[in-house]
Amino acid sequence: MKRLIILGSLTLMCVLLPVTGMSGFLDDLLQAPPPQKEEPAPAQEGANEKPPGEESPDAIQGLGEAFGIKKKKIDLFKKGLGVVEALQPIGEEEEITLGEAVAVEAFSRFGGEYRNQEWNRYINLIGKTVAEFSDRPTLDYHFAILNSQEQNAFAAPGGYIFITVGLLNTLKNEAELAGVLAHEVAHVTHKHMLETIRRGAILGSVSEFTLSAMKKDPAMFSNVIDEMTEVLFTKGLDKDKEFEADVVGIEYAYRAGYHPQGLRDYLQTLEKEEGHAQSRFFTTHPSTAFRISKINALLQGYSDLQSLPFLTKRFQQFLKMS
Amino acid sequence: MTHFDFFRKAPLPYFFSRINRHLIISIMIGGSLLLPSISWAATLYAKQNDVKVTAEKSPTSAVVTMLTLGEPVTVLSKAGRLAKVKTAKGKTGWVFTFRLSSTKPSAKGGSGLSGLTGKRQIAARESRAGGSIRGLKESTEQYAKDKQIKQEHRDAVDRMEAFSVTSDELMKFKKAGNLGEFSGGAQ
Repeated sequence: MKRLIILGSLTLMCVLLPVTGMSGFLDDLLQAPPPQKEEPAPAQEGANEKPPGEESPDAIQGLGEAFGIKKKKIDLFKKGLGVVEALQPIGEEEEITLGEAVAVEAFSRFGGEYRNQEWNRYINLIGKTVAEFSDRPTLDYHFAILNSQEQNAFAAPGGYIFITVGLLNTLKNEAELAGVLAHEVAHVTHKHMLETIRRGAILGSVSEFTLSAMKKDPAMFSNVIDEMTEVLFTKGLDKDKEFEADVVGIEYAYRAGYHPQGLRDYLQTLEKEEGHAQSRFFTTHPSTAFRISKINALLQGYSDLQSLPFLTKRFQQFLKMS
Repeated sequence: MTHFDFFRKAPLPYFFSRINRHLIISIMIGGSLLLPSISWAATLYAKQNDVKVTAEKSPTSAVVTMLTLGEPVTVLSKAGRLAKVKTAKGKTGWVFTFRLSSTKPSAKGGSGLSGLTGKRQIAARESRAGGSIRGLKESTEQYAKDKQIKQEHRDAVDRMEAFSVTSDELMKFKKAGNLGEFSGGAQ
């Protein structure tokens, strides 16, 4: 009888194990590894927002107190929620309009367009491959090279992504280029710039930011673009947003089939130049060494990297077409 | 008393109550193990239009059907970066997993802005000014004019927006580099 019980249990386990072995595999594949964050992630555009009244301040207070959070912190959190609720999420068409104006500024401030049809095609093919497997594949992304020797790359809302020829010349392979572009695509998919200006001084008091509002009030539109360019070209985004773009971008590059180590490898090159290279990159991004250490920890979570390419030969072939 | 002694010496009713206990524990463990497998077979959704479902694992094999944005599929099994799926119409085939999402595209934005129609929701598309190659948006033209930004930079944005690659070119690029659907050994 004991044998019967053991046999029965073994049979049950044999039947169940193959099934359970597969359980949840898509969760791993379809979702980016959780960012290593010390602080809670900022609210995403249109996400986690409750209609007024659904989540009352008292409920927040009560929950906060229940978890032992100090009143001062609860008030700060409530203040933040209030700002988010003040302005409705910015729509895609409005986002593209804002991005287009920022793109004009990008060309104007960074030496204009670097005109090389082959290189342009190449970065668009890489960028679109990465964007295809992002969390926002339906957006029409545009990639361009700026004629500046300064090492920099940035993303304007609506999918306008730039890389300087100076940065392009320091890269060693396609996976590095894909890593840099994927980081910028992540800023777009997570609407980092929109989130920043929604909480900023100009839009903080506006309840609705539509195309007609932009047309009616060109001064306000101009102020918003000024604020965005100030953040993008001078101050930089919050460190949390940069780290998030690292994590998400690495996942996008991985999904697209590139070796996800590309961004880390480029940052290592950049780190050697820190202190003597002319680049606003250092003032608009968190410490390169810290980013590298965070990425190294993240890469430990990827296990099936052996077959993923760096595409060094193809990269060199394209860059020779100058 | 050893475990073996228990089976030899235990009275019959007590013995059966132990069997029942074992059975109940087995069922409970089995049930708890089964639960995740049920959620594993849950529905996933196409993240964009024209997601290919192919007859074989190879992305160049015969196309069984094309999924539209938000179309649900049930995952039957997995092989590397591919998933074997069944559509709502009962067709089965292989899909590159990163073209599927565990959440249904929403109509509020992000990957689901185009909603389930597969078309961009541009109810209030701003008209374009006629000054340049394709024409920037009126707001941009006005802004650039006010800021005295040179025409060459406005034209550069125009060219940036007008530049496109065909889906065939993108597919060839991915295949040559073992990227996307061709990654992880698929050809």
